[in-house]
Amino acid sequence: MFAHAWGLPDVVRDWFVDRGWAPRQHQLDMLEADKRGKSALLIAPTGAGKTLAGFLPSIADLAEQPFDGMHTLYISPLKALAVDVARNLMDPISEMGLSIKVETRTGDTPSSRRQRQRFHPPNILMTTPEQLALMLSHKEAPKLFGTLKRVVLDELHALALSKRGDLLALGLARMGTLCPDLKISALSATVAKPEMLRDWIGTPKPEREVAFVTNTGGADPEVEILASDDRVPWAGHTAQYAVPELLEIIKKNGTTLLFVNTRSQAELLFQSLWELNEDGLAIALHHGSLDVEQRRKVEAAMVAGKLQAVVCTSTLDLGIDWGDVDLVVQIGAPKGSSRLLQRIGRSNHRLDEPSRALLVPANRFEVLECEAAKEAVKERAQDSEDPQDGGLDVLAQHVLGMACSAPFNAVELYEEVIRAWPYRELEWEQFERVVDFVATGGYALKAYERFARLRKTEDDTWRIVHPKIAQQYRMNVGTIVEEPMLKVRLVRARGQRRGATTGPIGRGGRVLGEIEEYFISQLSHGDTFIFGGEIVAFEAMKDNEAYVSRAVAKNPKIPSYMGGKFPLSTYLAERVRKSLATPTLWQQLPNQVSDWLRLQRDFSTLPGTDSLLVETFPKADKYFMVCYPFEGRLAHQTLGMLLTKRLERDRAKPLGFVASEYALAIWCATDIGAQFKRGRLSLDELLDEDMLGDDLENWLDESSLMRRTFRNCAIISGLIERRYPGQEKSGRQITMSSDLIYNVLYEHEPDHILVQATRRDASRGLLDIERLGACLKRIRRHIIHRDLERISPLAVPVMLEIGKVPIFGEGRESVLAEAAEDLLREASGN
Amino acid sequence: MNQTAPNPQQGTASGFQLEFADASFFAQLSGALYWQEHKTLLVADLHLEKMSSFAKSRQFLPPYDTGATIKRLAQDIANTGAERVISLGDSFHRDEGTTTLSVQDADALSALTSKTEWIWIAGNHDPSEHELGGTCCESVALDGLTLSHEPNAEILHQVAGHLHPAAHVRINGRSIRRACFVSDKNRLIMPAYGVSTGSLNILNPAFEPVINRREMSIAVLGKDQIYPVAKRHLIGR
Repeated sequence: MFAHAWGLPDVVRDWFVDRGWAPRQHQLDMLEADKRGKSALLIAPTGAGKTLAGFLPSIADLAEQPFDGMHTLYISPLKALAVDVARNLMDPISEMGLSIKVETRTGDTPSSRRQRQRFHPPNILMTTPEQLALMLSHKEAPKLFGTLKRVVLDELHALALSKRGDLLALGLARMGTLCPDLKISALSATVAKPEMLRDWIGTPKPEREVAFVTNTGGADPEVEILASDDRVPWAGHTAQYAVPELLEIIKKNGTTLLFVNTRSQAELLFQSLWELNEDGLAIALHHGSLDVEQRRKVEAAMVAGKLQAVVCTSTLDLGIDWGDVDLVVQIGAPKGSSRLLQRIGRSNHRLDEPSRALLVPANRFEVLECEAAKEAVKERAQDSEDPQDGGLDVLAQHVLGMACSAPFNAVELYEEVIRAWPYRELEWEQFERVVDFVATGGYALKAYERFARLRKTEDDTWRIVHPKIAQQYRMNVGTIVEEPMLKVRLVRARGQRRGATTGPIGRGGRVLGEIEEYFISQLSHGDTFIFGGEIVAFEAMKDNEAYVSRAVAKNPKIPSYMGGKFPLSTYLAERVRKSLATPTLWQQLPNQVSDWLRLQRDFSTLPGTDSLLVETFPKADKYFMVCYPFEGRLAHQTLGMLLTKRLERDRAKPLGFVASEYALAIWCATDIGAQFKRGRLSLDELLDEDMLGDDLENWLDESSLMRRTFRNCAIISGLIERRYPGQEKSGRQITMSSDLIYNVLYEHEPDHILVQATRRDASRGLLDIERLGACLKRIRRHIIHRDLERISPLAVPVMLEIGKVPIFGEGRESVLAEAAEDLLREASGN
Repeated sequence: MNQTAPNPQQGTASGFQLEFADASFFAQLSGALYWQEHKTLLVADLHLEKMSSFAKSRQFLPPYDTGATIKRLAQDIANTGAERVISLGDSFHRDEGTTTLSVQDADALSALTSKTEWIWIAGNHDPSEHELGGTCCESVALDGLTLSHEPNAEILHQVAGHLHPAAHVRINGRSIRRACFVSDKNRLIMPAYGVSTGSLNILNPAFEPVINRREMSIAVLGKDQIYPVAKRHLIGR
């Protein structure tokens, strides 16, 4: 290609030529789209020079004519990424000798600079969705954004379908109104439905065309599955069996990233690697609960090339380049092909060389899942996630923000809001209810008119009644709600244990990190768990800190962190079902796994692709029913909850259930297999879709899942205020528990918009109801029942989960009944 | 201790039988105590007008708690046939709460106070006297028992509220946290009655000066039943 054909200003062209480089095709395509006045969606894998592609049009434009005011706004999901990209952009700009001002604005930016940026913005500003919302809530927003030519959205695939994406979409809709010349460019990793992302960035400026720019190039990644000499276990998630082999692999490679799916797995793996790490390999741990300082140290050591391996969770999925990673190891099944592709992309940021990844299945089903994921990577097949309507809680936050910037006319704001893609189908009535909620709580019982936050004035605009309300809004902005966390502080043990001191525990130990309050509330003095790579014992609670001491326990209770459990993606599940049902595909499996499947075929049968296999068998005075929907743990839990309710009603006396990613086991006191055979119970009726009607409603009434979800919605919508560290000390009874608020609201106004928002989130996130619904529909009249004399080979893994995972979810009334019986036994002397 | 099925039609006393200091009560699922001998219903910590008290700082919590608590009271009075109600303090979340009742709630409350002898014991949240019907006082002595708001280690045979006791029960790896009655030889502390009240774990140090852990007995409010629970199953703080 000839340099003059690039269509770049001289200084920019010379910069390329001086270095012997040429812009890549997709970078020129982005430039071309911009010149033609189009928005653009660039889809390219990691390492393709996406960032430069995003900014090249801005640099070209700014090189041609000096510009006063903000020209380009860059939005990233991570503040660290915004800072990193700014740094990488400033080098070429200064090398070109251009006077383009580039700045960042994140939560860490000093307030004096943020203040200045509102009046004297740089030409290119790098920021996050939350900061954008904040800037839009100021009354200078029209002036600040009026000059804007371009918005660049980075890693849009990671944002678009989340609540942060909802907030960002609303911000874009507002910018669509404020900036007449706005063009929106988005950068995304490969996704299953690129058209959806194109629409997502297109709706805020409907008159503007969106160009599609893709770069699918790059070498194919090399993915292998660990062929262990050891037996792959039946069940479990920790891949302990592979630890010696992992150490060998780490020794042979340069920097290795070991990805696991949950923080507790990270803790366990780190612990077991170090137990056998005789060569003293530099292996570090990185996850979201560790102290920030600790994490920064690990990151710095990694960039400096001082580490041989890092055990990490999704905290390292996205974002900045941590230096040269030679190998990515995925421990446990990857659960989704998109996540795996993203993680594989963390190794080797040069396009022309293949990334290398190793999959380590933790159990036999995971061998199947890893095979499916390997195939998916080969085809670069992506999971597809169905979008849902934008959250009403996020909308409430946005409406208040808009009122803070200027009085609004409800009809005009509505017209603008439906130009945010997630809200394109929002009805006017819903919008009105949201405005009413923001103004006075939106209750049928009008109790708070005199305290209103917003009032409608004579000119038919809504305005905030006091500047304090804008302050309140700014404290609450954003959609990320942290679980209530406690600091974990290391102290010396007290009590009778050897080496322990007696008397009160002292202060002053170091902080190991933070842990969910929920987890700590389940512990008593002396209970042990792994945290920060050490086994510790819980000592006491003091001033909102959990005090722990070093412990020597052999079998620690492991933190059952709430976060970080991904369900198996629908796409991979389909592939796993297919490979089970197709014996010709078993050749590629390790012998122990294919033998296992053959045994199952001979003893019972194999689950089909569109049918559901249900097995029943007796074991230890109980009667088991095991089914294999392969729809992920969340959907199975919901199914288990609903099925036990139905079996209770049918007097089959269910006693408990356990759900895994692949299967569900329910046990009863009556011979359930015989009842199916005799026709006293019908599997078709039991598994009918109608269970998602009233049965689901009744269960939701009681479920604490709804309460947990409500807290997030209540905080995001501004119903209750965020608590910040240090604020809690103001007293136990002063802050109102969100559970209580939910109980009262649900009982008295069950169709309140916050209950609606909660239901939406719970049915998606924690219950996976849509997926369960699709499954029940698929298997209708395709249920295959096998009544067996004993446990089948396929049932072994899920049966081994019994006793390891909580049964029946969290405690219910039966806990109290058991405790009461226990007391009676004691009283009667037994 | 035993359980008799509630019988709303007849207004005869029923509930979980709870003995304390020679007196015999029927504990209700709502957290009330019915003292049949004196036809008296004891309740503690109603915290009426709690949700609405946040409106001043423009947090609009659902304004339904006061109505719901009053309705609960009306049901307990009807179920037990009580002729007297003693509310053991913190009946209102704030002193001003007595003036912010909605018309409906004020009517519903006065329908109760006009029919029944009503005694409001002062609490730390609502120390002042008010004119909502019935009598306001600091504490009540009845049949050898002292009824007051805050537990006080100096008083023998006291029934009190204030601390909002709850038990976090763990057995076979599963756990549940519920409001409860907690007592020793000298004191019975009632659970908070109001629908918007939070709770405090009975293992919290706040209980140490007023309840002797060695003699502690616990009755937990379940959904359909009250359960006596041994203290070795308690967890938390």
